[in-house]
Amino acid sequence: MTMTGPALPAGDPLLAPHPGNVRRRRAGGVRRLASHIPWLAAGAVLLFFVLAAAAPGLLAPLDPLAINPAAAFSPPGPGHFLGTDESGRDIYSRIIHGARPSLLIGAAATAVGLALALVLGTMAGFGGKRLDSGVGRILEVLFALPGLLLALVFIALAGPGVGTTVIAVGLTSAPGYARIIRGQIIALRNSPMVEAATVLGRSRSHILAIHILPNALAPIAVLATLGLGQAILWAASLSFLGLGAPPPAPEWGTMLSAGRTYLSLAWWMTFFPGLTIVLVAAAATVLSRSLKFRGTR
Amino acid sequence: MTHARPLATKLIPAAAALAAAMVLAGCTPGTTTPDDGGAAGTPVTGGTLVYASGDAEPSCLDPHVGGNYPQALVASQYLETLYTKDSVGKLIPWLAEDSTVSDDGLTRTVKIRDGIKFTDGTALDAAAVKANFEHLLDPATASSTGYLALGKIDSMKAVDARTLELKLKSPDNSLLESFSMPWVAIESPTALKRSQAENCESPVGTGPFKVASWKKQEAVNLVRNDAYVLPVEQAGHARTAHLDAITWRFIPEAATRYAALQSGEVQMIDNAQPDAIATSAKNPAIKHLDAPRPGASNRIELNSSKAPFNDANVREAFIHSVNVNAGIDSLFFGTAKRSYSPLSSVEPLAYSEESLFSNDPAKAGKLLDDAGWSQRDAQGYRVKDGTRLSLTFPVSTSQSIPAEQSLFEQMQATAKDSGIEIKIKLLDLSSWYGELFANNYNLVSAPYTKVGPGVLSILFHSDSTIPAPSGYFANLSQVKDPSLDALLNKAGSTKDEAERKDLYTQAQKKVLEGYYLLPLYNQQNHFLYSEKLKNVGATTAVASPTFFDTWLAK
Amino acid sequence: MSTPTATPPRRRAGPGRSLKWLLGRLGGGIFVLWAVATAIFFGIRMIPGDPAEAIMGGPGSQASAEALAAARAEYGLDQPLFVQYFGQLWRLATGDLGTSYSLKSPVAEVLGELIPPTLLLAGLALLLAWAMALALAVLSTRSGPWGSAIGSGLEIVSAAVPHFWLASVLIMVFSTSLGWFPPVSTNAPAGLVLPVATLALPLAGFLGQVMRDSMEGAQRSPYALSARARGESETGVLLRHSLRHAALPGIALSGWALGSLLSGAVVVETIFARPGLGRSLLQAVTARDIPLVTGVALFSAAAYVVVMALSDLAERVADPRIGTP
Repeated sequence: MTMTGPALPAGDPLLAPHPGNVRRRRAGGVRRLASHIPWLAAGAVLLFFVLAAAAPGLLAPLDPLAINPAAAFSPPGPGHFLGTDESGRDIYSRIIHGARPSLLIGAAATAVGLALALVLGTMAGFGGKRLDSGVGRILEVLFALPGLLLALVFIALAGPGVGTTVIAVGLTSAPGYARIIRGQIIALRNSPMVEAATVLGRSRSHILAIHILPNALAPIAVLATLGLGQAILWAASLSFLGLGAPPPAPEWGTMLSAGRTYLSLAWWMTFFPGLTIVLVAAAATVLSRSLKFRGTR
Repeated sequence: MTHARPLATKLIPAAAALAAAMVLAGCTPGTTTPDDGGAAGTPVTGGTLVYASGDAEPSCLDPHVGGNYPQALVASQYLETLYTKDSVGKLIPWLAEDSTVSDDGLTRTVKIRDGIKFTDGTALDAAAVKANFEHLLDPATASSTGYLALGKIDSMKAVDARTLELKLKSPDNSLLESFSMPWVAIESPTALKRSQAENCESPVGTGPFKVASWKKQEAVNLVRNDAYVLPVEQAGHARTAHLDAITWRFIPEAATRYAALQSGEVQMIDNAQPDAIATSAKNPAIKHLDAPRPGASNRIELNSSKAPFNDANVREAFIHSVNVNAGIDSLFFGTAKRSYSPLSSVEPLAYSEESLFSNDPAKAGKLLDDAGWSQRDAQGYRVKDGTRLSLTFPVSTSQSIPAEQSLFEQMQATAKDSGIEIKIKLLDLSSWYGELFANNYNLVSAPYTKVGPGVLSILFHSDSTIPAPSGYFANLSQVKDPSLDALLNKAGSTKDEAERKDLYTQAQKKVLEGYYLLPLYNQQNHFLYSEKLKNVGATTAVASPTFFDTWLAK
Repeated sequence: MSTPTATPPRRRAGPGRSLKWLLGRLGGGIFVLWAVATAIFFGIRMIPGDPAEAIMGGPGSQASAEALAAARAEYGLDQPLFVQYFGQLWRLATGDLGTSYSLKSPVAEVLGELIPPTLLLAGLALLLAWAMALALAVLSTRSGPWGSAIGSGLEIVSAAVPHFWLASVLIMVFSTSLGWFPPVSTNAPAGLVLPVATLALPLAGFLGQVMRDSMEGAQRSPYALSARARGESETGVLLRHSLRHAALPGIALSGWALGSLLSGAVVVETIFARPGLGRSLLQAVTARDIPLVTGVALFSAAAYVVVMALSDLAERVADPRIGTP
């Protein structure tokens, strides 16, 4: 999906622990094995692309930018494992070399969104009633604006580019995260552990730093994993609207969008980058769900 | 697949000034003649043509307001012009009957044809034309293309019902060519008196169709004008158009547009993409109309106002470093032919100089070494005094089709081999203009459609470097050469056709040899249409198709 | 861990609370609309470029200085920014949405034309997404852990498909190759199939994940166990009990789904050449058409406020114990 994710209000139903899933883990041996397959597979997919981002030359020796007009639109086959694009560039190499910018955009956007959300969520959850309702109002406004409108206006404001995409995507995902974090912090604030610390006369900043933030981090890791996939999808949508990474960077969303023009002529130009995005986003979802269940056991 | 030449039609001119029989194209309607090759069978009356445009939906259907190509495309169906072009590209009178100019070139007299009415019943006369020109020159209209075309007019007077006299500030030999553009089309003066909003919704003209309704984002609905009077009479043709109506839709996505044509939902599409044209060549149910636009060729302009392109040798080196032809061959599937001229190939005065534009990296390297760009940095780009040889290239995503953007990427890759960095910035139209007005570019590709070689003055005269209040200026290579200005001034005012040709040739030679531009190809204007649609091919002077002759086979 | 919900924290209901609730909602709604109008006004005014140019036919117009000045005066753009801002707020408060720069017609009229097709598209997509998500959840829950895994996998994958890619593929397969549906959308039933499917599929993936979690939980709940013990059939338990549970979180997500459908409509309406809010939003931002962008934003904000209030109300009606976390 594209637009659905980051605007997820709190994403709560997705991320909330559920007795059913916890119980499944207590089932017999075969089931236990089966329950490990999804996250192992998802982990392998993500690991592969992280490796691609770290050392693309290792996995794809060809130059992702090398043009060869004579070999344009070659279908998948020997020499070009996943075919070539309109300029004769090797699609496989572009996907592998595209891992770095694509994952970086996804990771940076998620980081921006989470950082913003952490500030807002902490203020709301730990800053007293007035601050809470103030932040609540801000979040309400952010939710009421369609995410894409926010992103479009921001990009028009700051001009397209990788940095702008990162901030635009981060901005649209922040309110959802902020709501979850606020809930986390309120729950922790009311926990026996914090009550005990309060009774012992610990300062508020001490409680925040020692008891609350560290415990809020685990769910944030879950959010970050889920957000990574969603941010990549968002960036792809912006590429479709002509607001993505500048050429000739082999960014996945840009490749997908460029290949769309030639769908009837060279399906591989759009199919494989599309498959990559779906794989990574789905793997991130699977992994984040497993992380969550693990955390709540 | 028909390689479009305007439809040849036989006409019997009403005006005595015209030859007894004349081959017309342009917005000229006509009965099929055996030699047109395109249409067989007897025309059928009736049916609705569904046309799908890939251009942005105009905000106003009156092409006087603003004045861009999407407006010209749709307005060509319901508005007509004083002059038009025939099938061999010759300028002929249309709503006008004749025109003469005084010896000093400062007074132009235009005779208006008799017996023609606008679809609101108002009669066409000299006062009506005057009202149109006044409308175009009124700042409140916010005309840009039409306003520029009539810029030399100082004052005007309707001498009698049929005669309009124009006083010019200076001689202008491109005025009749300007009159042939839809942006200067003639509308009902009664309708022009309405508010601009109303006139934008339903402009009133003399054309073979009229605007019935406009549902924004969906379609402009045009219906046949049953009271149509063909300005130049034509033997054997029905008095009115064959089609009952035209539904003018807007489908921005190229793939959707083509799919709609394939599925028979629409019968004609514009902005056909090269790969779709190539694929459809194998499909007998789909035909192709190639109608290159007049005016300038599609070209990349080199901003000579700032470093590094203030050095002519660097401009020359850049041009030799990029490989354009390989990209055109593979990306355009044979639908675009390389140009070596600042003018469109449909302009009779276009001058080409192929030898200047070879892809020669060795020569580029030597020129750059000699110009002081001999060091290389870690990424292999040339540097001089610590500055990288880097070129900023803002690209408008709404003006450059995907194949063209890919071509720019390929140029980027080939320039890199010579140590030149090109930074492509994909921008929406507003931001793109913003970069140009801020002089934030070294390379730029901007289309310019105008009838006649007068476009050279707009693009290369130093006056065109002076920005309009909006910031707009047309001379994007920013050539400021007094000798070129003198050539262009003289070429635009001479009454001697041979001298005009010679002067414009010299001017073109000058800008080509100065390496101010890199010509690519004609401004692409490709249409695909269903073979059920017969007699397609007539176009206006700006190559927008007209459908007076067209009929839909059952 | 508490489960924060999409609605603000609620308090125990009581006499007089209803009026207070209504007033609170109303006040909150007005605040949201004001904030959205303010954000859009200053946001777009900060975008480089002269709004007068947008009025005079967009960028690159060669409008004369007098024409630009006239446009500025007509639209009040020559006044100080804050005067313009309060003028704008006053007009909005009195129900005047202004005139679109690019379309030259009243924004209220434009919205009136564009809202119905978008609502039709979004409404049908929401229904289809619901139906698909429920069907998949029920079918795969009924067929054991492997069925559940497959269903879950399908949901996760379809939730990860970019709209524009899906739309292109659907057109290629169902219009160009099979010829079943037209590629260009109209309000005729056949023309709605592909755009609705494009919007619905990823959404169904999302809703499906949420519903499956609820449903599987409900299937194992004491209620379900006792119903089974009473000899009720597995299907009976599923339909009478678990299905209802599965639907609840889906209803709570409706406000969010609306926003996501509006964002999705930008892409879907552009590809299928469908008139609607999404497509005009994109054009309006590109053309720097402040009144139209403001109008679209206010409409979607208002729709969000109303939907949230309705779903809150629905929950209050359904569950009088409101307030227990």
